[in-house]
Amino acid sequence: MNMGLRHRRGAEEDEEISLTPMLDIVFIMLIFFIVTTSFVKEPGIDPMRPQADTAELKQRGNILIALSMADSVWMNKQSVKMTDVEQMVESAVAENPESSVVIIADERASTGVLIDIMDSVRRAGVVNLSVAATPAQ
Amino acid sequence: MIERRRRKRTDDEMAINITPLLDIVFILLIFFIVTTSFIKEFGVQMSRPSNSPVQEQKRTEAIVVRIDEADVVWVGDRPVEIDAVRANIESALAVKPEAPVVVVADRVAAAGLTVRVVDQARVAGADKVSLAAPEQRE
Repeated sequence: MNMGLRHRRGAEEDEEISLTPMLDIVFIMLIFFIVTTSFVKEPGIDPMRPQADTAELKQRGNILIALSMADSVWMNKQSVKMTDVEQMVESAVAENPESSVVIIADERASTGVLIDIMDSVRRAGVVNLSVAATPAQ
Repeated sequence: MIERRRRKRTDDEMAINITPLLDIVFILLIFFIVTTSFIKEFGVQMSRPSNSPVQEQKRTEAIVVRIDEADVVWVGDRPVEIDAVRANIESALAVKPEAPVVVVADRVAAAGLTVRVVDQARVAGADKVSLAAPEQRE
Protein backbone atom coordinates (compact mmCIF):
# COMPACT_ATOMS: atom_id res chain seq x y z
CA MET A 1 0.00 0.00 0.00
CA ASN A 2 2.74 2.25 0.95
CA MET A 3 4.55 1.43 -2.25
CA GLY A 4 1.44 2.03 -4.36
CA LEU A 5 0.84 5.47 -2.95
CA ARG A 6 4.33 6.59 -3.52
CA HIS A 7 4.18 5.37 -7.09
CA ARG A 8 1.08 7.42 -7.88
CA ARG A 9 2.60 10.50 -6.48
CA GLY A 10 5.71 10.07 -8.63
CA ALA A 11 3.66 9.72 -11.80
CA GLU A 12 1.73 12.91 -11.01
CA GLU A 13 4.91 14.89 -10.64
CA ASP A 14 6.16 13.64 -13.99
CA GLU A 15 3.04 14.86 -15.72
CA GLU A 16 3.59 18.47 -14.71
CA ILE A 17 5.20 20.49 -17.51
CA SER A 18 8.28 22.37 -16.48
CA LEU A 19 7.76 26.07 -17.24
CA THR A 20 11.32 27.13 -16.60
CA PRO A 21 12.72 26.89 -20.18
CA MET A 22 9.69 28.66 -21.59
CA LEU A 23 10.03 31.41 -19.03
CA ASP A 24 13.70 31.77 -19.96
CA ILE A 25 12.86 32.21 -23.61
CA VAL A 26 10.01 34.61 -22.91
CA PHE A 27 12.26 36.75 -20.75
CA ILE A 28 14.98 36.81 -23.37
CA MET A 29 12.45 37.88 -26.02
CA LEU A 30 11.10 40.52 -23.67
CA ILE A 31 14.54 41.95 -23.02
CA PHE A 32 15.33 41.89 -26.75
CA PHE A 33 12.21 43.86 -27.60
CA ILE A 34 12.72 46.34 -24.75
CA VAL A 35 16.26 47.02 -25.92
CA THR A 36 15.49 47.30 -29.63
CA THR A 37 12.35 49.36 -29.28
CA SER A 38 12.87 52.92 -30.38
CA PHE A 39 9.70 54.84 -30.45
CA VAL A 40 10.07 56.34 -33.87
CA LYS A 41 7.35 58.76 -34.76
CA GLU A 42 6.73 58.43 -38.43
CA PRO A 43 6.39 61.71 -40.28
CA GLY A 44 3.29 60.61 -42.17
CA ILE A 45 4.41 61.04 -45.76
CA ASP A 46 6.92 59.15 -47.86
CA PRO A 47 8.80 61.57 -50.10
CA MET A 48 10.99 60.54 -53.02
CA ARG A 49 14.49 60.42 -51.63
CA PRO A 50 17.47 61.46 -53.73
CA GLN A 51 20.15 58.90 -54.52
CA ALA A 52 23.53 59.19 -52.86
CA ASP A 53 26.71 57.12 -52.90
CA THR A 54 27.73 57.98 -49.35
CA ALA A 55 24.35 57.22 -47.76
CA GLU A 56 24.83 55.23 -44.60
CA LEU A 57 22.49 53.61 -42.16
CA LYS A 58 21.43 55.97 -39.41
CA GLN A 59 21.22 53.79 -36.36
CA ARG A 60 19.77 56.28 -33.95
CA GLY A 61 17.92 58.45 -36.36
CA ASN A 62 14.59 58.54 -34.63
CA ILE A 63 13.42 62.08 -35.08
CA LEU A 64 12.12 62.15 -38.60
CA ILE A 65 11.13 65.34 -40.37
CA ALA A 66 9.67 65.02 -43.84
CA LEU A 67 9.63 67.71 -46.48
CA SER A 68 7.16 67.17 -49.30
CA MET A 69 7.59 68.26 -52.91
CA ALA A 70 5.20 71.14 -52.21
CA ASP A 71 7.57 72.35 -49.44
CA SER A 72 5.25 71.43 -46.58
CA VAL A 73 6.89 70.10 -43.43
CA TRP A 74 5.56 66.90 -41.85
CA MET A 75 6.33 65.55 -38.42
CA ASN A 76 4.58 63.00 -36.29
CA LYS A 77 1.91 62.28 -38.91
CA GLN A 78 0.79 65.88 -39.24
CA SER A 79 1.68 68.90 -41.27
CA VAL A 80 3.49 71.41 -39.10
CA LYS A 81 4.38 75.03 -39.51
CA MET A 82 7.99 76.03 -40.02
CA THR A 83 7.92 77.99 -36.76
CA ASP A 84 6.83 74.94 -34.75
CA VAL A 85 9.63 72.66 -35.93
CA GLU A 86 12.19 73.95 -33.45
CA GLN A 87 9.91 73.45 -30.48
CA MET A 88 8.82 69.97 -31.63
CA VAL A 89 12.41 68.83 -32.11
CA GLU A 90 13.26 70.23 -28.68
CA SER A 91 10.55 68.22 -26.97
CA ALA A 92 11.52 65.08 -28.93
CA VAL A 93 15.13 65.47 -27.81
CA ALA A 94 14.01 65.96 -24.22
CA GLU A 95 12.23 62.60 -24.42
CA ASN A 96 15.23 60.81 -25.89
CA PRO A 97 18.48 62.75 -25.54
CA GLU A 98 20.56 60.36 -27.65
CA SER A 99 18.46 60.70 -30.75
CA SER A 100 19.57 62.24 -34.00
CA VAL A 101 17.54 63.93 -36.68
CA VAL A 102 16.96 62.66 -40.19
CA ILE A 103 15.32 65.06 -42.64
CA ILE A 104 13.51 63.20 -45.40
CA ALA A 105 13.41 65.79 -48.13
CA ASP A 106 11.75 65.21 -51.46
CA GLU A 107 14.00 65.51 -54.49
CA ARG A 108 11.83 68.31 -55.85
CA ALA A 109 11.53 70.30 -52.63
CA SER A 110 13.39 73.58 -52.53
CA THR A 111 16.75 73.85 -50.84
CA GLY A 112 15.76 77.03 -49.00
CA VAL A 113 13.16 75.24 -46.90
CA LEU A 114 15.62 72.39 -46.28
CA ILE A 115 18.16 74.91 -44.97
CA ASP A 116 15.47 76.52 -42.79
CA ILE A 117 14.67 73.13 -41.24
CA MET A 118 18.37 72.44 -40.68
CA ASP A 119 18.72 75.77 -38.89
CA SER A 120 15.72 75.13 -36.66
CA VAL A 121 17.08 71.69 -35.79
CA ARG A 122 20.42 73.21 -34.90
CA ARG A 123 18.77 75.89 -32.80
CA ALA A 124 16.95 73.07 -30.98
CA GLY A 125 20.37 71.75 -29.98
CA VAL A 126 20.81 68.73 -32.24
CA VAL A 127 24.20 68.48 -33.93
CA ASN A 128 23.80 65.03 -35.42
CA LEU A 129 21.81 65.79 -38.52
CA SER A 130 21.49 64.01 -41.82
CA VAL A 131 19.36 64.11 -44.93
CA ALA A 132 17.76 60.87 -46.04
CA ALA A 133 18.86 59.31 -49.31
CA THR A 134 18.62 55.98 -51.03
CA PRO A 135 21.98 54.28 -51.27
CA ALA A 136 23.21 53.76 -54.83
CA GLN A 137 23.45 50.18 -56.01
CA MET B 1 4.96 7.98 7.44
CA ILE B 2 2.78 10.72 8.83
CA GLU B 3 5.77 12.89 9.21
CA ARG B 4 6.76 12.39 5.64
CA ARG B 5 3.33 13.32 4.34
CA ARG B 6 3.35 16.55 6.28
CA ARG B 7 6.71 17.49 4.85
CA LYS B 8 5.38 16.98 1.39
CA ARG B 9 2.40 19.21 2.14
CA THR B 10 4.52 22.15 3.30
CA ASP B 11 6.71 21.73 0.21
CA ASP B 12 3.71 22.14 -2.03
CA GLU B 13 2.57 25.25 -0.24
CA MET B 14 5.95 26.82 -0.47
CA ALA B 15 6.02 26.73 -4.30
CA ILE B 16 5.35 30.26 -5.54
CA ASN B 17 2.48 30.61 -7.95
CA ILE B 18 4.05 32.06 -11.07
CA THR B 19 0.88 32.36 -13.15
CA PRO B 20 0.32 36.13 -12.54
CA LEU B 21 3.98 36.79 -13.30
CA LEU B 22 3.65 34.91 -16.57
CA ASP B 23 0.53 36.91 -17.44
CA ILE B 24 2.31 40.21 -16.92
CA VAL B 25 5.40 39.10 -18.80
CA PHE B 26 3.30 37.99 -21.76
CA ILE B 27 1.40 41.26 -21.83
CA LEU B 28 4.68 43.20 -21.75
CA LEU B 29 6.06 40.98 -24.48
CA ILE B 30 3.06 41.54 -26.73
CA PHE B 31 3.17 45.29 -26.06
CA PHE B 32 6.80 45.53 -27.09
CA ILE B 33 6.33 43.30 -30.14
CA VAL B 34 3.47 45.48 -31.35
CA THR B 35 5.14 48.84 -30.73
CA THR B 36 8.56 47.93 -32.13
CA SER B 37 9.17 49.51 -35.50
CA PHE B 38 12.31 48.58 -37.30
CA ILE B 39 12.72 51.76 -39.28
CA LYS B 40 15.98 51.88 -41.12
CA GLU B 41 16.74 55.23 -42.59
CA PHE B 42 19.73 55.84 -44.81
CA GLY B 43 21.11 59.34 -44.83
CA VAL B 44 23.91 61.67 -45.80
CA GLN B 45 25.51 63.60 -42.98
CA MET B 46 25.12 67.33 -43.46
CA SER B 47 26.40 70.32 -41.61
CA ARG B 48 25.71 73.99 -41.71
CA PRO B 49 28.62 76.35 -41.22
CA SER B 50 28.23 78.57 -38.22
CA ASN B 51 28.07 82.27 -38.90
CA SER B 52 31.13 83.18 -36.87
CA PRO B 53 33.72 85.55 -38.37
CA VAL B 54 36.40 82.85 -38.31
CA GLN B 55 34.36 80.69 -40.63
CA GLU B 56 33.69 83.67 -42.82
CA GLN B 57 37.40 84.25 -43.25
CA LYS B 58 38.04 80.62 -44.12
CA ARG B 59 35.46 80.80 -46.81
CA THR B 60 37.92 82.49 -49.12
CA GLU B 61 40.11 79.38 -49.08
CA ALA B 62 37.22 77.01 -49.48
CA ILE B 63 36.18 75.23 -52.64
CA VAL B 64 32.82 76.78 -53.40
CA VAL B 65 30.24 74.85 -55.35
CA ARG B 66 27.27 76.97 -56.31
CA ILE B 67 23.84 75.79 -57.36
CA ASP B 68 21.84 78.56 -59.00
CA GLU B 69 18.09 79.03 -59.29
CA ALA B 70 17.99 77.14 -62.61
CA ASP B 71 19.58 74.03 -61.00
CA VAL B 72 22.90 74.59 -62.73
CA VAL B 73 25.95 73.54 -60.72
CA TRP B 74 28.99 75.80 -60.73
CA VAL B 75 32.36 74.63 -59.46
CA GLY B 76 34.51 77.71 -59.08
CA ASP B 77 33.26 79.83 -61.98
CA ARG B 78 32.49 77.09 -64.48
CA PRO B 79 29.10 75.46 -65.00
CA VAL B 80 29.41 71.66 -64.81
CA GLU B 81 27.12 68.68 -65.29
CA ILE B 82 26.11 66.79 -62.16
CA ASP B 83 28.15 63.75 -63.30
CA ALA B 84 31.26 65.92 -63.64
CA VAL B 85 30.96 67.52 -60.20
CA ARG B 86 32.96 64.78 -58.53
CA ALA B 87 35.89 65.00 -60.97
CA ASN B 88 35.93 68.79 -60.71
CA ILE B 89 36.00 68.76 -56.92
CA GLU B 90 38.69 66.07 -57.00
CA SER B 91 40.95 68.23 -59.14
CA ALA B 92 40.24 71.27 -56.96
CA LEU B 93 41.13 69.21 -53.89
CA ALA B 94 44.37 68.11 -55.53
CA VAL B 95 45.44 71.77 -55.59
CA LYS B 96 44.18 72.58 -52.07
CA PRO B 97 44.05 69.27 -50.16
CA GLU B 98 42.95 70.75 -46.83
CA ALA B 99 40.29 73.06 -48.20
CA PRO B 100 36.74 72.61 -46.97
CA VAL B 101 34.01 72.31 -49.56
CA VAL B 102 31.10 74.71 -49.24
CA VAL B 103 27.96 74.07 -51.24
CA VAL B 104 26.08 77.32 -51.73
CA ALA B 105 22.62 76.49 -52.95
CA ASP B 106 19.99 78.94 -54.09
CA ARG B 107 16.76 78.83 -52.13
CA VAL B 108 14.72 77.61 -55.08
CA ALA B 109 17.18 74.94 -56.21
CA ALA B 110 15.92 71.35 -55.94
CA ALA B 111 16.79 69.71 -52.62
CA GLY B 112 17.59 66.45 -54.44
CA LEU B 113 20.28 68.16 -56.48
CA THR B 114 21.78 69.74 -53.36
CA VAL B 115 21.95 66.38 -51.61
CA ARG B 116 23.58 64.84 -54.66
CA VAL B 117 26.20 67.58 -54.90
CA VAL B 118 27.06 67.19 -51.20
CA ASP B 119 27.23 63.43 -51.73
CA GLN B 120 29.51 63.79 -54.77
CA ALA B 121 31.79 66.13 -52.82
CA ARG B 122 32.10 63.49 -50.12
CA VAL B 123 32.84 60.83 -52.73
CA ALA B 124 35.55 63.12 -54.11
CA GLY B 125 37.25 62.91 -50.73
CA ALA B 126 36.31 66.15 -49.03
CA ASP B 127 36.26 65.75 -45.25
CA LYS B 128 34.27 68.82 -44.48
CA VAL B 129 31.31 69.53 -46.67
CA SER B 130 28.92 72.16 -45.48
CA LEU B 131 25.77 73.59 -46.90
CA ALA B 132 25.32 77.32 -47.02
CA ALA B 133 22.62 79.62 -48.21
CA PRO B 134 23.63 82.52 -50.43
CA GLU B 135 23.70 85.92 -48.83
CA GLN B 136 20.30 87.53 -48.84
CA ARG B 137 19.99 90.26 -51.39
CA GLU B 138 18.18 93.25 -50.01
